[in-house]
Amino acid sequence: MLPKIIKKDDLRAFVEALLAENVVVAPTKKGIKYAFAEVDSFDEVALDYNITMLSPRKYFYPQNETVLKFKLGEKPSAEAVVESAPKIIFGMHPCDVAATWLLDVVFAEDPADPNYLSKRKKAVIIGMNCAKPCDEFSFCKDMKSYNATAGFDLMLTDLGDKYFVEVGTEAGEALLVAGAQASEASADDLKALQEWQNGKEKSFVNRIPYDTKFLPEILGASDDSLVWEAIARKCLSCGSCNTTCPTCYCFTVRDEVASNLVDGERKRIWDSCQLDEFAEVAGGENFRKARSARLRHRFNRKGKWLLERYGKSGCVGCGRCDRNCLVKISSVEVYTQLAGERAK
Amino acid sequence: MKPKVAFFSFTSCEGCQLMFLNLEDELLNLLGAVEIVKFREAMKEVTSDEYDVAFIEGSITTHSDIERIKSIREKTKILVAFGACATIGGINAIKNFQPLEDVRKYVYGERWDFYDTVPTMQVDQVVKVDAAIHGCPVSKKEMLEVITSLLLGKTPNIPDYPVCVECKLAENVCVFDKGMMCLGPVTRAGCGALCPSYGNKCIGCRGLITDPNTNAQKDLLEEKGLSVAEVLKEFRMFDGLSEVSK
Repeated sequence: MLPKIIKKDDLRAFVEALLAENVVVAPTKKGIKYAFAEVDSFDEVALDYNITMLSPRKYFYPQNETVLKFKLGEKPSAEAVVESAPKIIFGMHPCDVAATWLLDVVFAEDPADPNYLSKRKKAVIIGMNCAKPCDEFSFCKDMKSYNATAGFDLMLTDLGDKYFVEVGTEAGEALLVAGAQASEASADDLKALQEWQNGKEKSFVNRIPYDTKFLPEILGASDDSLVWEAIARKCLSCGSCNTTCPTCYCFTVRDEVASNLVDGERKRIWDSCQLDEFAEVAGGENFRKARSARLRHRFNRKGKWLLERYGKSGCVGCGRCDRNCLVKISSVEVYTQLAGERAK
Repeated sequence: MKPKVAFFSFTSCEGCQLMFLNLEDELLNLLGAVEIVKFREAMKEVTSDEYDVAFIEGSITTHSDIERIKSIREKTKILVAFGACATIGGINAIKNFQPLEDVRKYVYGERWDFYDTVPTMQVDQVVKVDAAIHGCPVSKKEMLEVITSLLLGKTPNIPDYPVCVECKLAENVCVFDKGMMCLGPVTRAGCGALCPSYGNKCIGCRGLITDPNTNAQKDLLEEKGLSVAEVLKEFRMFDGLSEVSK
């Protein structure tokens, strides 16, 4: 689909048109950080945000979701709960778009996950391209997710006095036609985009001193690395690397029964492979009791196993894991050390 | 026959029993499922000296406490430690770091020798505990989880992971990012990260998780500017009986 142009001053009218007809979630200021939240006006949107604390995965795969309602007692019964509502997610950055794309593949795999897919299908993603990395923690260039090639309905790039709009889907195009004063992109606009892209290539730097396509190979040879033991000594196992990761999808399941001892709900709640209980099974056996084994597991999932299984990297380099690590365990450093090299 | 339930107060503020009474919408259902025979905060009379489940609020801090908790243990089928004072000693354990004679003089003045005291103990240091409900005070949700689980004969879901998990799920700005200290990384969750969600730090009232990396936590607090003494003070507020406070 052909790219379009929205004049800078017309973005407000476009978002207001979206707001008039839809539930819109967008990056907003939350204290000294940012969080995706439902907005009622364009002024609430933090267009210049760097990164949100959680990615928008929470809209497709909520932190705590009821998946079953049941009744105990003389006539036990159970009914699956699949809830979804249409939503526009405005302002998603390319790394989060890439992460969503991975989750789409994971949750569509047989057996498909109706709770995720029903929410995802009703969501429209309007992305916002980044001109510069969020901060010193970003390694999206290393993970090749700093440019969004697919997985969005619309992707906006700020060219100064206008937005260059890549159209990914018909749903995105329809919103544009209905709500925006958009014009066809001209040859000059394409040239301006190319120049912008050249600037972007310079402002994003690689931090891992090798091509990350070698990560599966490097991780595959690192089972006995001393790196795991070294980072385990300082790891708090707080799980924040997982809970803030846009591609983590492991959950635990809990049944909650009301005080009448009849009505109950089954919840699925985000889990973390860094927690002591994560790999504990019936009988009390824990097959990843050691902190070092848990860490090795996480890095292998992010850098090796998901790529091998789904053809997409389990890490998008958004840096949330490193940014939220209180004891400064750095993915970039781990990958660098595993390859036997010093960080640049 | 409905199981008989009794509530007992040891050294505590009895606030956790108040939390039980605050389960207003659930009380009628619960009273349909159990018979409460002794509960001094809620009823005048003791309707039976027999009970199946004993809820113990408070720490063990006197010789007579030790005898009383032992006799309750002998009579009850299930004993539930109820609230931080009972499960981890809580703030009552602060006195353990001072000479007990000084403590008695400070509290009771001239007639201090009239009042007996022993170093604070959590309930399971004296008798076997079958279930624990953590927190200062306990959370209503977890209290219900334990009570309904006991009635259904299943193991209650009590988190054994740190407060950070629930704090991140709530998408709170990290307490450390605000320039404050926090015990969230080593403290048992289950509160829904209540204190950080309202702008405070976690003070550790639910006790430590089973396998905390307390050395890393101490290093972290020191790196953020606390002295060793201050780090210990943070831990000793609620976790005085744990290894980390020694």
